[in-house]
Amino acid sequence: MNVKKQSIEFTIDEKFILVNESISSKEEIITKLGDLLFHNGFVKDTYTKAVLDRENVYPTGLKARVTGVAVPHTDTIHVIKPAVAIATLREPVVFHGMGAPDTDVEVSIVLMLAIHDPQEVVNVLRKIIFVIEDDAALQKILAASDKAEIKNTLKEHIDALTAKLGK
Amino acid sequence: MAKVSIVVVCGSGVAMAMHAAYKLREYLDKEKIYDVHIDGSGNNELPSRIAAYDIVVSNAQVTVETDKPVFSAIPLITGVGEEELVKEIVAKVKEIREAKNHQ
Repeated sequence: MNVKKQSIEFTIDEKFILVNESISSKEEIITKLGDLLFHNGFVKDTYTKAVLDRENVYPTGLKARVTGVAVPHTDTIHVIKPAVAIATLREPVVFHGMGAPDTDVEVSIVLMLAIHDPQEVVNVLRKIIFVIEDDAALQKILAASDKAEIKNTLKEHIDALTAKLGK
Repeated sequence: MAKVSIVVVCGSGVAMAMHAAYKLREYLDKEKIYDVHIDGSGNNELPSRIAAYDIVVSNAQVTVETDKPVFSAIPLITGVGEEELVKEIVAKVKEIREAKNHQ
């Protein structure tokens, strides 16, 4: 057990949550979320372009049971502090499928990950990724009408998993 | 006894493959299969590393030519088709273990 590693906070903040955004492309929402992370000091100015570039090579659209979810992210060198930026979309936009770049996924929820060292934040990071298969939590995030509701739903999901799995 | 080794591959190896690898480990533990080695790899490094592994589980498109069994990691992330995938991987692990023990 490394005490130093546990002191790293993974930030989920209303400053980088967007609700019912009207956007017309995946590039637009990635850029909006990337700007929010950058202006709050969580990522470097190279982050957004790196995410956009990576999305073209390794797309991140996932067909969950409830809706399409995308998890754009990039290499750790572009990140200052770990965080997740979240957007729900008024109308879905097309991302390409993770592992299947020739398929389209209609995405309504974007979880943009800023990770500077996956091992240091593994406990929280895993629980965030687990939300993709948590039908009830995804439904709640999708239906949320304000930022606090999205943040609280994600935090409740993480707390519930912590109670279930420990750590 | 020879260990079966699995490499879990991700575009950049940052997050999703790690999550898939943890889940796979939990499933294998449930099946009481403890003699499996699991590593993560970025897709770029896969061509130089693949020789060391028996099974590839990937959430990126595997472009390297291989005769090794390749599974998609996506069901481990979305939960869709997860049980079927795990059954297939467990069966393959047992098959490879059997073959290694008879070498």
